[in-house]
Amino acid sequence: MSEILVELEHVGVAFHAQRSIGGGRFWAIEDVNLQLRRGDRLGVIGRNGAGKSTLLRVIAGILAPDRGKVRRGPVSCQLLALSLGFVPYLSGRDNAVLSGLLLGLRRREIIARLPAIREFSELGEFFDEPIATYSAGMSMRLAFSVAMQAEPDVLLIDEVLAVGDSEFQEKSGAALRERMREGQTVVLVSHSEEQIKKRCDRVLWIEHGRSVLEGARDEVFAAYNAALHHVAEAV
Amino acid sequence: MRRHLIELILFSTYAELRAETARNYLGLIWWILEPAMMMGAFWLVFDVILKSGGPDYIPFLLIGLSVWQWMKSCMTHGGYAIWSNLPMVRQVPLPPLVFPLIAMLADTVKFAFIFALLVLILWALGYPPNGSYWALPILFGAVFLAAAGVGFVIAALVPLVPDLRFVIEQVLMVVMFLSGVVFPLSQVPPSLKWLMDLNPVAVVMDDARLILMHDQLPNWVGLSKVYLISIVLCLFGIAAVRALAPRFPKLAG
Repeated sequence: MSEILVELEHVGVAFHAQRSIGGGRFWAIEDVNLQLRRGDRLGVIGRNGAGKSTLLRVIAGILAPDRGKVRRGPVSCQLLALSLGFVPYLSGRDNAVLSGLLLGLRRREIIARLPAIREFSELGEFFDEPIATYSAGMSMRLAFSVAMQAEPDVLLIDEVLAVGDSEFQEKSGAALRERMREGQTVVLVSHSEEQIKKRCDRVLWIEHGRSVLEGARDEVFAAYNAALHHVAEAV
Repeated sequence: MRRHLIELILFSTYAELRAETARNYLGLIWWILEPAMMMGAFWLVFDVILKSGGPDYIPFLLIGLSVWQWMKSCMTHGGYAIWSNLPMVRQVPLPPLVFPLIAMLADTVKFAFIFALLVLILWALGYPPNGSYWALPILFGAVFLAAAGVGFVIAALVPLVPDLRFVIEQVLMVVMFLSGVVFPLSQVPPSLKWLMDLNPVAVVMDDARLILMHDQLPNWVGLSKVYLISIVLCLFGIAAVRALAPRFPKLAG
């Protein structure tokens, strides 16, 4: 068995329901267990509001658990965050540096990668123009190119990445698949069973903030579909 | 890790200043024009209309407002920085103190420009640079620490209770009037004088004018008290931000 990178034990995270005096709390995740090993490609499935996104933010170290334990080895876990810290009045170049720093890169590392970012984003001369002048597609292309520069031990991806026009979608999807083939540890959250079946080898199923089942992809999907079918029949 | 944060803070400060100059037609000129317009308004009201200014009123007012604007922007911009960056706080695990520090540094760079201009204007008004200027960095250190201390405390609280912003603006307005920024405290009734002496803003205002207008060194005892109060405030503010940090990513922006 390969090394365990992140381990969650009976983790729960509570949010305040609303910002007012005496607002109650609700548990976005209540009791989730998870072991993430190096090289895992873990998909997280569950219905809307099951706590999938919250779970990613716990793994990323953004949210601290209100109960249970998170054990993280000396590894970096990072949410694939697009347009992080983008400032409309700055050039693509300045935004790339800023975003890279926010993603945890050192300044010289980003500067060294600027040509690659410029190339991948296909921005050409626009790279030195303020991003306020970009189209939505151009802006997303820059965002994706920068986000791909971060090389965390564990990459956390929320939802399907539909970035830019269909051609760039193909390109960004290919870049991500390439990463995964290279043995990148990934946690992928998606509504799309299709996506997860294609990309992941292990699956965690959560429902109402609780782990239902974690294991090999096909086994979990079989149980998940059986449960859905069961519910459908009951209705 | 630490060096990475320093790079992040410095580049973000540059980015913030850069974006601000790019946002408006007049760009950099506003750094000077905005305080100049405010000074003009106070001069009109207190000197021209109310005739309460006294002989040295213009240099008195210029110094007071320049230093106060710096303090106030550090307190408010720094104070609102975590709150306004909540969308980012939800996406990356960064120490939240980074955000107020960036805002305060940007305001300090702007103050440097304004101060350079202030020295030139004072010179033109007959107050040339003098031998007491060496004490300015010590004075400015106290000003920054005092503003940062208040700023950190506000920064810790505003994300949880954004309503505080409305109170803070009004409180700062009162503090400005009670600190000898726009009119000399000698006009305050003697029965209230003791209250003024406790006010660190009033102390630094007096000291700034002693140095810049009268070639005199600051009141060291008073300034030491300001340092002491400010350091305690900073430590308290930093502790408050760190204690509340786990709650910030859960807040709606």
